[in-house]
Amino acid sequence: MQQDNIAIEVKRLRKEFKLSSSGKGFLGKLKALFHRKHKIITAVNDIDFKIRRGEFVGYVGENGAGKSTTIKMLTGILVPTSGTANVNGIVPFKDRKKNAAKIGVVFGQRTQLWWDLPVRESFDLLRVIFRVSRLDFDRQMTKLDEALGLRPLLEMPVRKLSLGQRMRCDIAASLIHNPPVLFLDEPTIGLDVLAKQSVRNFLSEINRTEGTTIILTTHDMNDIEQLCKRLIIIEEGKIIFDGETGFLKQKFVHEKVIEVEFYEDDCVMQGIPGVTVVREQGCKKWLTVDNDSSGIGEVIGAIAFRYKIKDISVKEPSVESIIRNIYDNRVKLPLPSGKTIT
Amino acid sequence: MNPKLFFKFVSISFQKQVTYRFDCFIGIVNGFLYVFIFTSLWKALYSQFGTTMHNGFTLTAIITYAVLVMAVRISFTMDDSIIYRKVMDGSIAMELIRPTSFFFMNLAENVGHSLFHIMARTFPIVIMSIFLFDISIPFEPVRFLAFLFSFLAGYILISMLNFAAGLLAFWFVEIFPFMLFKYALFTFFAGGIVPIDFFPEFLKPLVNFLPFQYMLYFPTVILTGRVPLAEVHSIIISQLIWILIMGVICNLMWSAGKKKLVIQGG
Repeated sequence: MQQDNIAIEVKRLRKEFKLSSSGKGFLGKLKALFHRKHKIITAVNDIDFKIRRGEFVGYVGENGAGKSTTIKMLTGILVPTSGTANVNGIVPFKDRKKNAAKIGVVFGQRTQLWWDLPVRESFDLLRVIFRVSRLDFDRQMTKLDEALGLRPLLEMPVRKLSLGQRMRCDIAASLIHNPPVLFLDEPTIGLDVLAKQSVRNFLSEINRTEGTTIILTTHDMNDIEQLCKRLIIIEEGKIIFDGETGFLKQKFVHEKVIEVEFYEDDCVMQGIPGVTVVREQGCKKWLTVDNDSSGIGEVIGAIAFRYKIKDISVKEPSVESIIRNIYDNRVKLPLPSGKTIT
Repeated sequence: MNPKLFFKFVSISFQKQVTYRFDCFIGIVNGFLYVFIFTSLWKALYSQFGTTMHNGFTLTAIITYAVLVMAVRISFTMDDSIIYRKVMDGSIAMELIRPTSFFFMNLAENVGHSLFHIMARTFPIVIMSIFLFDISIPFEPVRFLAFLFSFLAGYILISMLNFAAGLLAFWFVEIFPFMLFKYALFTFFAGGIVPIDFFPEFLKPLVNFLPFQYMLYFPTVILTGRVPLAEVHSIIISQLIWILIMGVICNLMWSAGKKKLVIQGG
């Protein structure tokens, strides 16, 4: 039975792609004509997760980790090799159209608007496609316009919009039918700081006020830090972390970053235990301090003892640096459930 | 699918065609050239062999056929690389996230395309041909109505053929060779060059086994008056049966193809 408060349920979901290599060089290609080698790539490898209604989940991973493939299976575009998924009680790859009516989708690098039509007409088409009544549509548009500033864009043809403008329109387009579940695949890609912030504010608002369940894929860890209470990290098709973003920070902060500015630029940090120089720029240095081997105070003391310091600040590591560590396999992740995956 | 939506997409596709005016001009010249070549060929052939009747066609009848089959063919102009392009650039993903049928969206796009070609190419070519060539079309309203039915059925059949051929892009990276093959099969077996009556005996079982004759040949001969009105209904029924068969094929291919689909470009 479908539990009411579960928006998305994924069970042992798997997607394999067949890659045929055509051989190298002339002879290789000729040989491949008759005998082709196939390689099976497992993009998504038997993953499980559940997302409750109203959750705002960050779904991150490196390029090619299987994020987009997962999203494409949940939106009914791709059919999985095995396993099941359930979105709003619908199996997306069996009932693609039914599922599509109840989800919103934004793929940051594509647009679902019509290239040659003015934005207004694209919205109007989507209104008919999603069978939204005029009244609901007008109400929703007013709301979207307020939050995303669409009015000046409505008469422009989509191809003339800047990336940031287009993304705002695409996000609005995905919400015309006020779907209970929203999939966002890199919605902040290529946006400037201001545009990013306005998109983030809007997303957090609809999550709060409408209770929209949002799954966000991004490479921008600021998105995650500001928006997502829960984080799922996927690597090589497997989920390596699923838990609260705060938990990740607490548990896996093994280092702090110190930004120091000296008076001379030939300061050497060797011999101070647990310190690594990550970046240098003239007299400025960025150091990481391993929490396990030395205290931050000792390190600062040791540096101050050696050189004259002009300026110093200690930085909390960002989610980004934590995740970078995870990608680099420097941090071994115990899953919150107690399983350990290395 | 919602008819309102269908016609909205027909209209978008139509408007898109209108922007390519030079294309359209070339299209008229091209179509007329074909008509001219085929009518000249038939005239030469008929004067060479002397008799007034071959395989049941008088010279006037064969020229009428040549003009009208070309007119029907031009009316059926559609872009058969739409699906291929959508798979190649991955934009098919953006269509699949909508609660609409992929087949009907595709059909709407084709209809818009064809409507434009009917207005911009078929009509001028038919009108010019009426003045330039010796053509006889029986004036029977019932026959014309029957032709319209048969024409529509033929159109749906061609859309399905193109849809099925386009779906091959789910399996193969390059489908141009398949499209060429389809084009050759269609042009020949649908009677696009020579009416089926001229085919050698050994080919006739094959012709009857294939759906192509129901796409061009039969709609055309219903209009030219070659088929007695009493036989028209059986042709239309055969067309409907073929629509069912093609529908099953398209459906099977769609279900199988979905599993093969790869979205290019992330």
